Amino acid sequence: MDSKLFPEGVQRCSFGQFATWMTVITAVFLVGVYSAVLVLYNGIGTTGLDNYFGFGLWITFDLAVIALGAGAFFTGFLKYILKIKQLEKIINLTVIVGFICYSGAMLVLTLDIGQPGRAWFGYWHPNVHSMLTEVIFCITCYCTVLVIEYVPLILEQKQLNKIPFIHALAHNMHVNMALFAGLGTFLSTFHQGSLGGMYGVLIGRPYAFREGFFIWPWTFFLFVLSAVGSGPVFTVLVCTFMEKLTGKKLVEYKVKALMGKIAGTMLTIYIFLKILDTWAWATGYLPSVGLTFDDMFYGVAYGKWMMFTEIVLCGVVPAIMLITPAIRNRPFLLYTAALLDCAGVTINRYVFTVQTIAFPAMPFDKWFVYYPNWVEWASSIMIVAYGFLVLSLSYRYLPVFPQERRLNYK
Amino acid sequence: MQTKEFKVKWGMVIDIDKCTGCGACMVACQVENNIAPMTAKDPHNYVQAITTDRDDASNKLRTLTWMNVYELSNGKSFPDHEVAYLPRPCMQCENPACVPVCPVVATDKNEEGGIVSQIYPRCIGCRYCMAACPYHARYFNWWDPLYPVGMDKQLSPAASPRPRGVVEKCSFCHTRFQQAKDLARQNDEDPNNLPDGAYVTACTEVCPTGAITFGDLNNPEHAVHDLAKGPNAFRLLEKLGLHPQVYYVSKREWVRKQGDNYKAGDKH
Amino acid sequence: MGFDRRTFIQASVGVTVGILFTPVPWKLADDVSIWTQNWPWIPKLKYGEQLDKPAVSKLCDSGCAVNVRTVAGNAFGTEGNVDNPLSRGGICPICANGVQVMNSPNRVKGPMKKVGDTFEPVTWDDARALLADKLAAGGGKVAVISGDQTGTANEVFSGFLAGLGSEDFFQMPCDMQAASRAYNGVMGGAGQVGYDLENADYVLLAGADAFESWGPTVSNMKTFSATAAKYVFAGPVQTRTASVTARWVPVPEEGMAAFILGIAHHVLKAGKSVAAADFAKFRSVVMDGFSPAKVEAAIGVKSAVTAALAQDLLAASKPVVVPSGLSVAAANAAFALNLLLDGGMVSVPEFPKVIDSALSVSQRMEKDLLAWVNKGSNPAVALVYEANPVYALPEEFKAGFLVSFSSVWDETSEKADLVLPATFTYERFDDIQSPYGIAKPVYTAGVPVSRKFLDVMTPADFILGLAAKMDIDLGFETFAEVIAAKAEAVGADYDEEVGGFFEGETVVPEVATLGASVLARGAAPVRGTGAVSLAPYSQLIIGSQNVATTPNAPCVISNNQLVGTTMVVMMSGMTAQKLGVAAGDKVKLSGGNGEATALVKLNEGVLPGVVAAPFGFGHTVGDEFSKGKGDNVYKILTVRFEAATGASVWNGSTVNVAKM
Repeated sequence: MDSKLFPEGVQRCSFGQFATWMTVITAVFLVGVYSAVLVLYNGIGTTGLDNYFGFGLWITFDLAVIALGAGAFFTGFLKYILKIKQLEKIINLTVIVGFICYSGAMLVLTLDIGQPGRAWFGYWHPNVHSMLTEVIFCITCYCTVLVIEYVPLILEQKQLNKIPFIHALAHNMHVNMALFAGLGTFLSTFHQGSLGGMYGVLIGRPYAFREGFFIWPWTFFLFVLSAVGSGPVFTVLVCTFMEKLTGKKLVEYKVKALMGKIAGTMLTIYIFLKILDTWAWATGYLPSVGLTFDDMFYGVAYGKWMMFTEIVLCGVVPAIMLITPAIRNRPFLLYTAALLDCAGVTINRYVFTVQTIAFPAMPFDKWFVYYPNWVEWASSIMIVAYGFLVLSLSYRYLPVFPQERRLNYK
Repeated sequence: MQTKEFKVKWGMVIDIDKCTGCGACMVACQVENNIAPMTAKDPHNYVQAITTDRDDASNKLRTLTWMNVYELSNGKSFPDHEVAYLPRPCMQCENPACVPVCPVVATDKNEEGGIVSQIYPRCIGCRYCMAACPYHARYFNWWDPLYPVGMDKQLSPAASPRPRGVVEKCSFCHTRFQQAKDLARQNDEDPNNLPDGAYVTACTEVCPTGAITFGDLNNPEHAVHDLAKGPNAFRLLEKLGLHPQVYYVSKREWVRKQGDNYKAGDKH
Repeated sequence: MGFDRRTFIQASVGVTVGILFTPVPWKLADDVSIWTQNWPWIPKLKYGEQLDKPAVSKLCDSGCAVNVRTVAGNAFGTEGNVDNPLSRGGICPICANGVQVMNSPNRVKGPMKKVGDTFEPVTWDDARALLADKLAAGGGKVAVISGDQTGTANEVFSGFLAGLGSEDFFQMPCDMQAASRAYNGVMGGAGQVGYDLENADYVLLAGADAFESWGPTVSNMKTFSATAAKYVFAGPVQTRTASVTARWVPVPEEGMAAFILGIAHHVLKAGKSVAAADFAKFRSVVMDGFSPAKVEAAIGVKSAVTAALAQDLLAASKPVVVPSGLSVAAANAAFALNLLLDGGMVSVPEFPKVIDSALSVSQRMEKDLLAWVNKGSNPAVALVYEANPVYALPEEFKAGFLVSFSSVWDETSEKADLVLPATFTYERFDDIQSPYGIAKPVYTAGVPVSRKFLDVMTPADFILGLAAKMDIDLGFETFAEVIAAKAEAVGADYDEEVGGFFEGETVVPEVATLGASVLARGAAPVRGTGAVSLAPYSQLIIGSQNVATTPNAPCVISNNQLVGTTMVVMMSGMTAQKLGVAAGDKVKLSGGNGEATALVKLNEGVLPGVVAAPFGFGHTVGDEFSKGKGDNVYKILTVRFEAATGASVWNGSTVNVAKM
């Protein structure tokens, strides 16, 4: 019944099937909305956060999706600035994924700050010394950029595009896209870095504090690298997931492998530096404040196993897999490496967020274990459901994959 | 990081060998600064169906205790066990970890006296400052301040009640500082050279053992000036370089050793 | 269509700038920043002239001399009174919360009488008439139970009681009572025992948690920090007092009398003596019955420990030993040792009475409430003044017609037939006469510093009115007159606007006997039959026996005392192992007439074989700050009667511990 709205020359599942799918996702989404209402109405007391864990699942979730959403800016950078033509076959998807990740992160941040009505104070009373100010600037600006990048895709919807004005608008936006891609790259690089910088500058938190270059602690650069080392393969994973779900080929494997190669290269550089950084931190900085490497870990929740999983299993291993053509060119191994890579960056964001503040700096204080409660989980899953909704609608009605016709209907 | 220098530097010297942990300072602090008692129900909320119960005061990670007393143990078995109590106000660090991280300048160290301010109407509640402070001196208003009927008949005029969603912390009873300066001006005295005792915090005043001494660390005529330089004086986590304006004193070595981390075999 | 790249950029920028030039975003932003700090449910402050008014606060047992802080005539806070020796600027954690208790919704708002199972408001006149009828019908079977150790209101109550022909005036069980019964009763001394900490150079706190809850706590703490005296704490638990004393000597509670006599053994051996009739007998009792070996066998304190303590006491120029608890024998033993040492124990003369028929302070301390209750006494009418016997007595308390004079709803009010709401001390005339333990006679009179917001009355005023109605002449019409007369009799500099103060001089303690025959039988430790000993301890922040946890106290009470709504008991690792429990386990303690639920916390500062449990939890009536929090340790105590003295005591209580 809605077939007139489909992109040119492709087939989609029946409307009934689609409606059922959307209902299920919406139900999950609504549970999340309920939890968000509880938070906004009663206050953040409804969550599992507390005075020791002012940051928790939400911030971890934000940092992880922003890192994984880095596929958008980095692919945009490679395509528009470095003119790697191949990438246009997946660029639309990277933009949508980026948009979902960033807008979702902003929604969660609205819940996370105690006074959402004052969110704009970051612009009005900015503290230029704060990494978080930079994050607020860049994330909001970059989210706008992503909207601008996403809008032409919507305007290219078959029926909308028949309207001459919209057609012209979409065309003009496309023409200017390199400008936005450049702007996006700049903004995104900075806030990925600032997110890392946020932790690296914490002089009172030995787990996170790092020396650095000029005003930027090493974590600044590590966060940028880990984001570009994982964002592209996250897009590949999303694409592959959509292919499994729809039973169609959407992007040729060559492009995925290229994305894998790009991410792999960045990941290799990252993990090399990360190991150096960890070594320097453990043997140089920690002893200088009277601490040892062992002091930084506690029990299972904050055990060393997490760090080894992050750096070796989800760092070194996928890096090798992705830069080795023989492995990268096998779909199953590429996807495995991509999964490990994304898990690694997520663990990294988690430990920097939670373990940093869990470490009791005062010797007479003790470790506490933080558990997110259902409200935090539900509102985070709400963002995932929101992503599913946006992607489902985009895939059904918008020309996201330029290769879809050629790959499936020839 | 360079630290800002002030002519006057308000500070505390807390004698742990005198603190019994009785809690009078914590009560006086709540009264002075209008920290509402913790109540479970919010009867004023318009839609009770989605109103959740609030925290119990026994959940120490959710209480608002600007002044907090920690219990220290020497870790030994009976009968060699020893115990001590360490009251922890805001350290008002010379090089605060919290101030540079605040995205909206809701906290600053800018005023003569070196007290780290907290501007409640400015705070957006991001809690980055709490993540930054290793002393856990900063607290978040998880809930709105609700006084049981009648208890808000008269609140302390010293501190405006904070709504939920903002961070707060010990201000060294800043209103008392203002009042002391005003009084000095009225008497044609120098507000930047207050005599010892002209300005003290509520906790200092109420402490039954006089474990807390308050004054200008830079002023040789104030008791804290010399106390802070005593042989048994120390500050918490000195190695991190935050330079607190709160000093502790104890004759017991095991207590002093708990003031910082000394695990890498380095000398005390 | 003329829509090229340039137009597009111009249009985008134009629209954005255009919106910014309208007032809309700015007005909205401004409004939002105002709204977010002015929610209607956030209380607004009231400003005005700030004044500090001297007053007395009687929430803690000994009472605090305070200044009530007011703004625009309304009280908002409490601080210490620098000019009063009881305070010297300090204040205890309960009294620090006084104004909040005064303004608490848990205040009784007007006189109530019980009808069936519920309460109905009555007028003060009806209440007076009702009580007069009950008293007339009771025919002298009337009792008064007072939780006020220091007030002249006790004279009004005891004088009234005498007028009714009854002698049943009781204090709630307290250390002061044990001291008075030992010193004034057994030993035949005059005045009230005091401990001159200010001039002492060595203080052995024999169980007295002097910096936390015992005696004039604030004054003790002030003196401790102002002097260089060496303090040693002896007791089963390393209390907060022990955290600052030079040393903690672990001694079981029931062994305190034996411990003190064990020290006396060394002191006698050093040749010390006292001019008392029974000195020879005392000497033989101690030398034979409390030799180091015997003491070590009885209470586990090594002979080297008692010898060293004795040596320190003998070497000191002004040593003092401070007993605690309900044990008359322990108090007797400590006084005897103090007399041997000729140190810092003093006698504080009583102030003259102003109501002739009233009891003197030492007379008030004579009667044993627990023994009376234990006997199954059931008076026709019981008047309870500033006390909560239903909560704080281990035994069930019965009366034909129970009248509660209380400012807040508590267990006793809930059980009462008539609740006559008392003014808070800040709303009335009241006084503190030399709290037990203080070294000099000190009198502090307080006047109302806050206006009344509720339909409440000063209990002594009510009694004076009732006395007049029943033709009992007490010589006064109002309590304000009583206080004024008292202040005059005391010699205080008194003013109806600001109150009054007097400080006198101590006298050297003199006794007729050392209580040798009492100590011969009463000093040996007696312990129950349960698995472990129970060492109850007090922390003022949790509350006192009369006052429940105050509104700002819950977030100060540590997780070492309460977690959620379950109280915490502490024991050493050895004890836990013996009991088969581990840290964090939920256990049931059974002893006395009841049971209590608790979480286990390991603390190496507890004598092995002992479980330390906090008093003050387990209220079943009251506000959310106290009600339903933890269990009531008074209910698991075992009351027994001390040999020779007959005093009801609960030291030596034991409990069985079962994992839940």
